[in-house]
Amino acid sequence: MKIHRLAALPLFLIFLLPLALSLALILPVFADAAAFKALLNHPQFWGAAGLTLFTGLVSTALSLICALMIIAGRIDKPPQAGAMLALPHLSLAIGLSLLIMPAGLLARIIALPFGWTSPPQWVTTQDPYGLALMAALVLKETPFLVWAFASLLNRDDLRQSFAGQRAVARSLGHRPASLFLRVIAPQLLKRTVWPLVAVLAYSLTVVDMAIVIGPTQPPTLAQLIWTDLNDAEPATAARGAAGVLTLCAGILLLLMVVGLSIRLGRPHTGKWLSGPPGTGLHKISFLTQIWGLWSLFYSAIVILLLFQSASGLWPFPNLLPEDFTLSAWVKLLSDGGPLLTSFLLALATATTALVATVVWLEGMRPSRDKILLWLSAFLLCLPSLLIGLGQYRLFLALGITGTALAMFLAHVLPVAAYVFIMLQGPYRGFDGRWQATAAGLGQQRAIFLRQIKWPMLKAPILAAFAVGFAVSIAQYVPAQLAAAGRYSTLTIEAVTLSSGGNRALVAAYGAALMALPLVVFLLAQWLSRPRWRMR
Amino acid sequence: MLSLRNVSLTLHDKALIKPFSLEIAPGKIVTVMGPSGSGKSSLLSFIGGDLDEAFTARGEILLNDERLNDLPPEKRGIARLFQDDLLFPHMTVGENLLFAVPRMPQAERIAAMRAALEQAELMGFEDRGPHTLSGGQRSRVALMRALLARPRAILLDEPFGKLDRELRVSIRGFTHAHIAERQIPALQVTHDPEDAPPGGRILKLTATGEVIDV
Repeated sequence: MKIHRLAALPLFLIFLLPLALSLALILPVFADAAAFKALLNHPQFWGAAGLTLFTGLVSTALSLICALMIIAGRIDKPPQAGAMLALPHLSLAIGLSLLIMPAGLLARIIALPFGWTSPPQWVTTQDPYGLALMAALVLKETPFLVWAFASLLNRDDLRQSFAGQRAVARSLGHRPASLFLRVIAPQLLKRTVWPLVAVLAYSLTVVDMAIVIGPTQPPTLAQLIWTDLNDAEPATAARGAAGVLTLCAGILLLLMVVGLSIRLGRPHTGKWLSGPPGTGLHKISFLTQIWGLWSLFYSAIVILLLFQSASGLWPFPNLLPEDFTLSAWVKLLSDGGPLLTSFLLALATATTALVATVVWLEGMRPSRDKILLWLSAFLLCLPSLLIGLGQYRLFLALGITGTALAMFLAHVLPVAAYVFIMLQGPYRGFDGRWQATAAGLGQQRAIFLRQIKWPMLKAPILAAFAVGFAVSIAQYVPAQLAAAGRYSTLTIEAVTLSSGGNRALVAAYGAALMALPLVVFLLAQWLSRPRWRMR
Repeated sequence: MLSLRNVSLTLHDKALIKPFSLEIAPGKIVTVMGPSGSGKSSLLSFIGGDLDEAFTARGEILLNDERLNDLPPEKRGIARLFQDDLLFPHMTVGENLLFAVPRMPQAERIAAMRAALEQAELMGFEDRGPHTLSGGQRSRVALMRALLARPRAILLDEPFGKLDRELRVSIRGFTHAHIAERQIPALQVTHDPEDAPPGGRILKLTATGEVIDV
């Protein structure tokens, strides 16, 4: 392999440099004491902070408990959660709110046996305790954690080691539930620190889902900050910027407290880990069945979004609309701007990120990957508010706010992180003997790449592209800030519409948001099908 | 006394082990030898209670005249040692040992654990992680862990296979001595005829599935 330092240039330009500059440009905010003071004096600050802590911690804990229960009964054959990850979180929030709102499908189903004629006085979405937001977060994050655990359990070395440890633990008298909690779960958790931190940080800082389904009086801290950031008044925007830093500092503090209590609690944990056989929960195998609820819910959301997007007049408590109409879809397509912008941005950023990643992987020493992998994982844990704010300040400094270039740069950063994480493993795992063989046959490197290596790596390359595409479609905070009102995307439009009353149109945007990445995923899968079936 | 009565093993209609019976007296070690894929390890899995569903096993497993066939692995009281020591990497040496000690007052459990550490000549290793131990030390901890569960029988699945020659001899002696001293019946499978204790019974699995005395 030829090593060339210039191979780092593309990723440096779209990933490393913007990331470093964005983070650097946030630093001056620390000096703005007045903004921090204004934030602490915000009448809703402490209420919002308490609510954020409550919703973030509870939803993370519940997601983790659910994911562990689901995995506990299926260590040998972990469930496939990949398809569920493809549903954008905003589509999920919109679908869930359509399901549980007072005039939603759930109320209609209950109304039938009880003979209700008007919608119940429920405060089911945007409830003051954030229950709906927590439900949405748990529904979204549990499959992600299941996926993270499953990919560990599917690793050959770990599968073998776990199988042996389980056999030993049982021969020592431990029942399956006891050995799962004491032997398997701690080892899984130790290896999923990044995903767990990402889930916690996301739950504490999510903006778009909170706008759709979260509480309003007070809102979560992220929403409070977001309103400030978008304010035309410079002092208010500065208060928002101070809020972003305060939120991030809070998360850091929380992580330190959690980390410290795990460390200090180690002797205690050890006593529990090494407890005698014959104790432990016996009911756990029963609860593993809850995975079915997730399949049911995700199917229901997809169907509901499509159904509602085509609904016409739909008086309560009818289970079915009186008529169906495509007017919401006609409106979405005739306003084509957001759809086209989202599509072109996703196409451009995923392609750029893919090319930049391949150039890096072809030209750089494998030992250099580590730092980039670490930075990518770090970026995925960073709240979008923080990175969005940094990028916004960078674009302001460059004078490109509201331009296509700003939109591209805002979207390509997270896309590059995901594409690199997805492709690095399979690409570096490519057997070097193929190249030796091709070289031995007198073939040049370009021909080897085009005709052997890339075709053989077609599946992971296309999968990385599809993930990058989906990530681009889902961006909200950085997109909204970079757009400065001059561009709109499907995500921006869906969030804006969610506060209006046109349910069919909201559903149509939620469905489009889901359909675009799905089509690309299916296309990628179809294109990477094997030329012939192996026996 | 561990007894097998008319035990046989088939995989996809192919007879791996034809019906045979065996009695192992307390403190005795019976050694089973045979080529790879002959079903040696699967025989141990059948006795231990976690045989892969692809196999069909027939016959009775009796421990002191109690039928074990329908008991889950954790109720059989049969300890197992594998080629890998399988110490739990997230627990300290002491925790690994305690994990096996049956339910009783915690002070007694800890005393049992410390006594085992002493027997393995590993005093002071209680709070160390397994990864800081040498191969021989790990093997001794694995054996002590198995013995702490107070098993009624022990199954050894090539437990010395990954040790180098010198270590092999000493760990083998250590293991066999403890099994004899505690009067536990043991069944071991191996490739190496030297693994059998002096004067111990050796069975050979032939390619046709016969079990013959050597």
